Amino acid sequence: MNQWEVFVMDMAELAEGKDLALSIRTLNTGRHKYTYKHVRCMVSADLDKHPDRLQVRMGRGQLSAARFSIQVIEEIRRLPAKYA
Amino acid sequence: MSKISAPRSNREFVEACVRHGDAVRIKQEVDWENEAGAIVRRACELGAPAPFMESIKDYPGFSYFGAPLSTYRRMAISLGMDPESSLPEIGAEYLKRTNSEPIAPVVIDRKDAPCKENILKGTDVDLCKLPVPLVHDGDGGRYVGTWHAVVTKHPVRGDVNWGMYRQMMFDGRTMSGAVFPFSDLGKQLSEYYLPRGEAAPFATAIGLSPLAAMAACAPSPIPEPELVGMLSGEPARLVKCETNDLEVPADAEIIIEGVICPDYKVEEGPFGEYTGYRTSPRDFRVTFRVDCITYRNNATMTISNMGVPQDEGQLLRSFSLGLELEKLLRSQGIPITGVYMHPRSTHHMMIVGVKPTYSGIAQQIGQLAFGSKLGPWFHMVMVVDDQTDIYNWDEVYHAFCTRCHPENGIHIYRNTTGTPLYPFATPHERKYSIGSKVVFDCLWPVDWDKINDVPTLVSFKNVYPKDIQERVLSNWVAYGYPPVK
Ligand SMILES: Cc1cc2nc3c(=O)[nH]c(=O)nc-3n(C[C@H](O)[C@H](O)[C@H](O)COP(=O)(O)O)c2cc1C
Ligand SMILES: [Mn+2]
Repeated sequence: MNQWEVFVMDMAELAEGKDLALSIRTLNTGRHKYTYKHVRCMVSADLDKHPDRLQVRMGRGQLSAARFSIQVIEEIRRLPAKYA
Repeated sequence: MSKISAPRSNREFVEACVRHGDAVRIKQEVDWENEAGAIVRRACELGAPAPFMESIKDYPGFSYFGAPLSTYRRMAISLGMDPESSLPEIGAEYLKRTNSEPIAPVVIDRKDAPCKENILKGTDVDLCKLPVPLVHDGDGGRYVGTWHAVVTKHPVRGDVNWGMYRQMMFDGRTMSGAVFPFSDLGKQLSEYYLPRGEAAPFATAIGLSPLAAMAACAPSPIPEPELVGMLSGEPARLVKCETNDLEVPADAEIIIEGVICPDYKVEEGPFGEYTGYRTSPRDFRVTFRVDCITYRNNATMTISNMGVPQDEGQLLRSFSLGLELEKLLRSQGIPITGVYMHPRSTHHMMIVGVKPTYSGIAQQIGQLAFGSKLGPWFHMVMVVDDQTDIYNWDEVYHAFCTRCHPENGIHIYRNTTGTPLYPFATPHERKYSIGSKVVFDCLWPVDWDKINDVPTLVSFKNVYPKDIQERVLSNWVAYGYPPVK
């Protein structure tokens, strides 16, 4: 199970059952901890619904008590190819 | 000029600090995730020696040096001065050196440059190979650049800029940073690169000599490579980058080369800031794509941990902002006695001492200060007379509370330039760097009669005849008081 974290200004950004586009960072231990990916994903407050876990921080870094499960559907490549 | 013997690299600086008792060597393993940041923060809040952390979890062979210039003692050491030097002495030395002739840098051969000892290119490039710290819990990311210089060059005019603009690691090859539109890099981008959609080459240098770092965060109009030369009394030693035409300090510990993308932005922040808060919102900011990393053997990453006073964000910036304003006001012939910013104001208040020889002098000072390149970084100018000791807050505060007329002495300027970091600013003002400013005029009005209108300051020094003062001073212990230091 992977652990992820997301920053939001408003919990409404994490609508359940919708295909979302988020920047999430990995909390898996090791040298890559806290690096980001742009992903398409689904989230749910039901912790058993999706394979990975997601925790949430608000705009100034405050950790929310809410926990979600998350399914990463795919990585979104926003980076223009010339910088790859 | 007498020979200056300032530390020429971060390594020499660490040694000098350890020798003077101004740095401690931490041998036990420290975690890059929060622990290192917490050590630096506590050292700042206590005014303690700088931590040199020799063993970092997950990163054998690397070390950290935190809080490099968060005390006046370390600032004196960085300038090659006696650590006991007073603040006015350090300030006078900075003014003397930065008013001297510019000293051009020299470019040395790659093979002589320590920063080229290890080179990562192509698929080897990964910022996670560097011990990038999570400085404060809850930050938007691990910050690569907290005490560093971002090197760029104007492609037509050729002006080189080194600026300290924070840089967050977004992923192994991407950083994002807060480059404010009124900064030298912000202007290069908005004037040249962004309208053309051209990528701007950059190089981030980490683990600089302390005077190179001082130059990178000094708001001076002098190009930073020359400024380092003037501060250290010898040419800065530079070396060509691997993947672009820029030149970087050869003795730096770590160099990160790449391009600033004009057409791609990722999120940056939040981050603990010099005001003592996390204020600026998470936002899509200037984005840096990394092509190459070079570093010294046993490289040291430097860390500044900004938060409540006092760290170098307040101490050093108050120092250089104050002194650069002093130079500006003197260049305009204003009869000032000096300029001082208390670090504890988080460089928000300029205190200016002046001989009030004509009307409106406080507003003239305020308008020059706010209208200058320095202006966005502070919002209060307090002007006191030449009898008030600008370094003595008790005297300044007394003058403010007794001489500043609430209606005639407070002048407000609206819709000026601000920064997104002002804690008191509205969310809208932060988003667009809109500021507002205030001058506190603590001078007796020039049109008051000196004898009949101006109140007399009732102090030991001001109301008693000299012979009485001397008698009281020389008898003080005889009266039964302990001696006064
Ligand atoms: C530790 C530290 C971090 C800083 N971070 C930023 C930043 O993220 N963005 C910025 O515009 N200025 C930042 N500054 C202030 C700039 O370094 C300062 O304004 C400097 O004069 C910029 O150079 P310039 O005048 O060439 O633009 C920081 C200063 C310090 C000491
Ligand atoms: Mn500059």
